[in-house]
Amino acid sequence: MPNTNEVPAIEVEGLRKVYRSLVAVDDVSFVMYRGEAFGFLGPNGAGKSTVVKILTGLVAPTKGTVRVLGQPVSNLEMRRHIGYLPELPTFHRWLRAREFLVFHGRLYGMRGIELEKRCSEVLELVGLSGRDNQKLGTFSKGMMQRIGLAQAILNRPDLVLLDELVSGLDPVGQRDMRELLRQLKSEGMSIFLNSHQLADVEALCDRVAIINEGRILKVGAPQALFDEAPVFEVRVNPVNKELLHRLGSIALAVQQDADDSCLLYIEVQKEEQAADIAEVIHACGSRLYELAPHHRSLEQLFLRTIDTSRRRAPIESTQP
Amino acid sequence: MGLLLITRFTLLEAIRRRLFLAVTILSILILAAFAILLSIVIDVSQARNVNGNDTQLYILGGGVVITVLAIWMVYLLSSTLTIVFTANMISGEVDAGTFAVIVPKPLTRVEIVLGKWLGYALVVCTYTALMFVMFLAVIRWQTGYWPTNAPYALGMIELGILALLGITTLGSSLVPTIVNGAIALMLFVGAPTASIVQFIVKLLNPTSQQTVQNITTVINLVIPTDALWHAASFYLLPPAADFVTLGISSQTFDTPFTSGQAIAPALLVWVVLYCIALPALAVLRFQHRDL
Repeated sequence: MPNTNEVPAIEVEGLRKVYRSLVAVDDVSFVMYRGEAFGFLGPNGAGKSTVVKILTGLVAPTKGTVRVLGQPVSNLEMRRHIGYLPELPTFHRWLRAREFLVFHGRLYGMRGIELEKRCSEVLELVGLSGRDNQKLGTFSKGMMQRIGLAQAILNRPDLVLLDELVSGLDPVGQRDMRELLRQLKSEGMSIFLNSHQLADVEALCDRVAIINEGRILKVGAPQALFDEAPVFEVRVNPVNKELLHRLGSIALAVQQDADDSCLLYIEVQKEEQAADIAEVIHACGSRLYELAPHHRSLEQLFLRTIDTSRRRAPIESTQP
Repeated sequence: MGLLLITRFTLLEAIRRRLFLAVTILSILILAAFAILLSIVIDVSQARNVNGNDTQLYILGGGVVITVLAIWMVYLLSSTLTIVFTANMISGEVDAGTFAVIVPKPLTRVEIVLGKWLGYALVVCTYTALMFVMFLAVIRWQTGYWPTNAPYALGMIELGILALLGITTLGSSLVPTIVNGAIALMLFVGAPTASIVQFIVKLLNPTSQQTVQNITTVINLVIPTDALWHAASFYLLPPAADFVTLGISSQTFDTPFTSGQAIAPALLVWVVLYCIALPALAVLRFQHRDL
């Protein structure tokens, strides 16, 4: 969990974006700190990309304030210190890989040998060394993502904004990009990651915001977001009505696995009730084969959060 | 600095496009065909009329007519090229998504639009100037005629090209590429209509001339390309004094295709402002456009 005294990399307050009658972003507020990896999760159409586009100046907000690296989005000097990779990037197909990077490097204000050297470095970092003279029009989707990431980190940015980084990449490519992001983060780069890949966000991000229908539902460290009651996985045989009834009387909820009738998910108020579960099982004459805490993945939390928000729209933050 | 980077990038992009290569090759072929055909026409004329000075005067006179026709063709080629090349200047990049990684860079949207405008202006104006000079050179070689006021004629044509570029620049910031191209083409093709109607009315009913003149003026303000062509044609003709000594009035050349008068100063000022204002409006529009 980042120290709240750290310098903010992104500050968003009361952000709202309306396209004609469509509210794409509705009162979004969050802070991302320097040096952290911040994940933005949400289903399609949640408003994630709209928020990123506002952060990069592609879209103007209807209302609200945005500061990136302490500056307004329009500040040109600030833009020298950020990198951005859009979702499903499209680049000028007639450019060769090196030409493309040189052009973007020059836009960042880089020149000469420093630029040439850095182009070679990033091509190697993203796994495209040797493809300097290959036209972007001949690149595969995965290669486009890589060259896109290359231009985003070309200027050694303080903050990089990535919209669906691993889209189009095969599993090996995804692993390589994940490793690269870890390396960049360890070098002090702040990373803002829009992603559907919950495993990537869970593995990489210090904090996560879950967004749906333009509103942030939860913000916090992945583990801190699990504020629900503990759940135990219990393998027991036989499972009968009496056992289920008695377990139900001591637990908040008991659910039998759809594919394995001997596997139960028991939600309790506190972890200490594990002993009570074992006692009930023995009392009913069943055999206990396994009793372990149920590993809750970010995916499950995400899906549960989205489903809940579709019934109501709470905004919870586990931020201090 | 961003503006020059975008200009340089636009130049590179224009040159790398296959369209540019096709236009270059075809232009050379057109010029070569023109030179060959003109040579044949001159040879035939000389063979038919062996009457010394009269022949040369006849050929020179023919050179005047051929100059006007040839440069009109250059104007048509350049204008078509301008529309085809630049209709997608902004809209094409927005639709393709290629602006998504350029706009967040440390440069302003003003630099992006003006950089692209400048790059395309250099391409189309250079093409126009080269074609203009080469066609005149061929005519000079074959007929001995070179317009005294050729630079002014070129100036009018370049202004016409820049006016068209202004239209496509603004259109590209407002509407999709194909709509932009269609609007620009229809304006360019429709503009001479007023001149044709004005000529017919002058012949058939001179009393209605003022009404038609007013309409023509409005059309010229909206799309000055035809007015600029007329201005160019005036400068392609020999000086008015030469015609006066031959007893020919300058009004003889007031046709749908040519003009016997120079462009009105007020219209010239309007055109210059037009060439500045339209790209400026495009910049204003692009500043506030969500991408």
